[in-house]
Amino acid sequence: MPVLEVDNLSKHFEGVRAVDDLSFAVQPGEIFGFLGGNGAGKTTTLRMVLDIIRPTSGTISILGSAPDRRNAAAIGFLPEERGLYGNMSAIDTIVYFGRLKAMDAGDARHRGLELLERFDLADRAKSQIGDMSKGMAQKVQLATSLVNEPELLMLDEPFSGLDPVNQGLLEEEILRASKRGAAVIFSTHVMQHAERLCDRLLLLRKGRKRFEGTLDQARATLPARITAITTAAIADIPGVAKATATNDLGGGWLEWDIVLAPDTEAGAVLERCSAHALPLRRFEEHRANLHDVFVSLVGGEDVL
Amino acid sequence: MMTNILLVARREFRQIAAMKSFWLTLLLVPIALALGPLLGKALNDDESTRIIVIDRAGGSALTAIEDRFALDEDRYALRSLSRYVRRHSLENADPAAPWTQHDRWYTDADIAAFRSAGGIDAAMAKIDRVKAQDTPAYDKPTPSYAFAEAPAALAAAEGEQLQEQVDTLLDADKDKGAAEAADIVVLVGENYPADPTVRLWSNEQPPSSFVTALQDVLTGDLRQRLLTDRGFSAGDAQALQSAVPAIAVTTPPPGGGAREAMLVRSIVPLAIAYILMMSLMLSGSWMLQGSIEERSNKLLESLLACIRPEELMYGKLLGALAVGLSMITVWVGCAAIAAFATHGAIADMIRPALAPLTSPGVILAMIYFFIAGYLAISILFVAIGAMADSMSEAQGYLMPILLGILLPITFLMQAIVAGKDGLMVQVLTWVPIWTPFAVLARLGIGIETWELVGAAILLAVFIAVEVVFLGRLFRASLLAQGQKPGFKQIIDRFRSAPG
Repeated sequence: MPVLEVDNLSKHFEGVRAVDDLSFAVQPGEIFGFLGGNGAGKTTTLRMVLDIIRPTSGTISILGSAPDRRNAAAIGFLPEERGLYGNMSAIDTIVYFGRLKAMDAGDARHRGLELLERFDLADRAKSQIGDMSKGMAQKVQLATSLVNEPELLMLDEPFSGLDPVNQGLLEEEILRASKRGAAVIFSTHVMQHAERLCDRLLLLRKGRKRFEGTLDQARATLPARITAITTAAIADIPGVAKATATNDLGGGWLEWDIVLAPDTEAGAVLERCSAHALPLRRFEEHRANLHDVFVSLVGGEDVL
Repeated sequence: MMTNILLVARREFRQIAAMKSFWLTLLLVPIALALGPLLGKALNDDESTRIIVIDRAGGSALTAIEDRFALDEDRYALRSLSRYVRRHSLENADPAAPWTQHDRWYTDADIAAFRSAGGIDAAMAKIDRVKAQDTPAYDKPTPSYAFAEAPAALAAAEGEQLQEQVDTLLDADKDKGAAEAADIVVLVGENYPADPTVRLWSNEQPPSSFVTALQDVLTGDLRQRLLTDRGFSAGDAQALQSAVPAIAVTTPPPGGGAREAMLVRSIVPLAIAYILMMSLMLSGSWMLQGSIEERSNKLLESLLACIRPEELMYGKLLGALAVGLSMITVWVGCAAIAAFATHGAIADMIRPALAPLTSPGVILAMIYFFIAGYLAISILFVAIGAMADSMSEAQGYLMPILLGILLPITFLMQAIVAGKDGLMVQVLTWVPIWTPFAVLARLGIGIETWELVGAAILLAVFIAVEVVFLGRLFRASLLAQGQKPGFKQIIDRFRSAPG
């Protein structure tokens, strides 16, 4: 059973379609990337999952039931805009959120101290949030979302504002939660994190789903490109959609930028080059990365 | 749901209790309230005004003045004793004595009877025989005026010499025991009454009661002389002068001393109304700070992922109520300790004031209207906190609301203290945001049961309506950060359904 299942979800705000007929499902242990530009509808979708706002139409199922605060015990959430009570200590903050998620105070404290230890903040457990650095406070906030060992962990732009060390720590926590069997959804603008972590991805544009699938499937949506140094006969090889000479190296040798026909693999083209006795000095395949896919599907203005 | 509300309430309470301003207020209020009466007592001049009369016309004017003032002092003492007797229901001490007759303006004959019966000391001896042990002692009034003999040197002084000697008398510090000191010097000239000019020296504006009485005495004296000069016998002239109507005084219940007793009974309800107002303003502003911190620190989304907006709102209300009840507990506790520690003086004063607390109905009404009042007003602060991103923005919403609530309450308190129960008090009783204050303030002087029950029901309905509409506003405003709502947006949020 999926931990989270969203069917035909829509949300309209005063005539604006923030989310438009969105469907997806996240399985236990899966890391699900929720990608899209600003205003794509990522945060609105997460807020509907959390029952902070209600959908205009469509259904959401979390562990088999409709969104409700009774699910809070099974959910961990790290919002994009982060902040905590300045005059509460780190451990009290974690215990407070743990208790709001139906945890026993003792368990919440025990688990909170464990997390602080792991985040290298054990000695600051009793420090007030207001006395901590921004990075420390962000780690405490991450701990508040993990304290209940959630079955569904939702992280809205979790990497923003974190230094590289803390980004690494967050990646470890995401992988740890996934290994534990939790379904992890995170939204991000930073494609490298998604490429490193996600089992599956969903790309949103203006509230509509543009893609859902694995990283390989995402890459496959864009044709591979090949750089080759060979003669002009390359343009006649089957599978080559377009060959553009970019540099004349002399003696009949040219550098080519080659676009393959859809569903044509670079290896097959190389094989045909050999079969046609085409001399090659260089044959280099460039697979599309997630950045290219994002730019292609969503638009380039929001990508980092 | 209840667990989450209690968790939020506990956090709110702890946040406010961690503020220095909370503890400062908690301690400063009892200190200020204790210092107030002490300062008042210290500043209160309970000494008699010292009068010196120089009578160069033979001494009859001096005698007439002294007699008149003595009569007035005794009349005042008799009235004061009568109020004391009525307040403590001590009429059985001597049912025939003038001080147990409350239905008249005391005449000179009543004063004469009072004096001949032994005056205040004899009356007190009779009262002591019947009064209960816990009845506070009668505080004998200090005479307003004390007459001193004119120094011999002054009797004959004239011109600059007279002025110098009068100045010396007026400048002398009577507090330091100067025997020859005066607050007022009166000179009746040797040609009086042919020359009716009477001079008066005083350091300050002379009390109008003194000048009026002096004028009355001297007018009477002049008329007496005129009448006898025209052939009336001294007796007839005196009879003409003393012909006064017998004024029967009837004050509708509670009346006279009983009304004072009711005002004393109003001390605790008025104090509760005042404390409600004060603690509401304080805890409201603290709660507002907390709400704005939640918005400006952007932690609302984290909270709303765990709890419903309604739970957050109820938790905040409960936290504010807990703060208010803690404050009142500490303040009442301080008052009780003060009463216990000063057993006698203050306890005597407090005991009648605590009389309303002997009625379970009044206690229940006090608790109900205090709590309901707290909720009815605190919810306004919560709603403002949900709409404002900063304290300065919150002030914009808060000021008109505070003025709207507080100004009428100021007038209400004054009306209750003055014993008035007019239209304004009635209106304020039935307008829910003022109901708690009006009902609490009226509990001492008396409020009809139907009014009490009706106002309680109306207030409960008002709170329910507030919870529905301000709850919608609260929910709709929570995540609308950085958007200062206009009037239309606020109305839309009132209408907005969840989500």
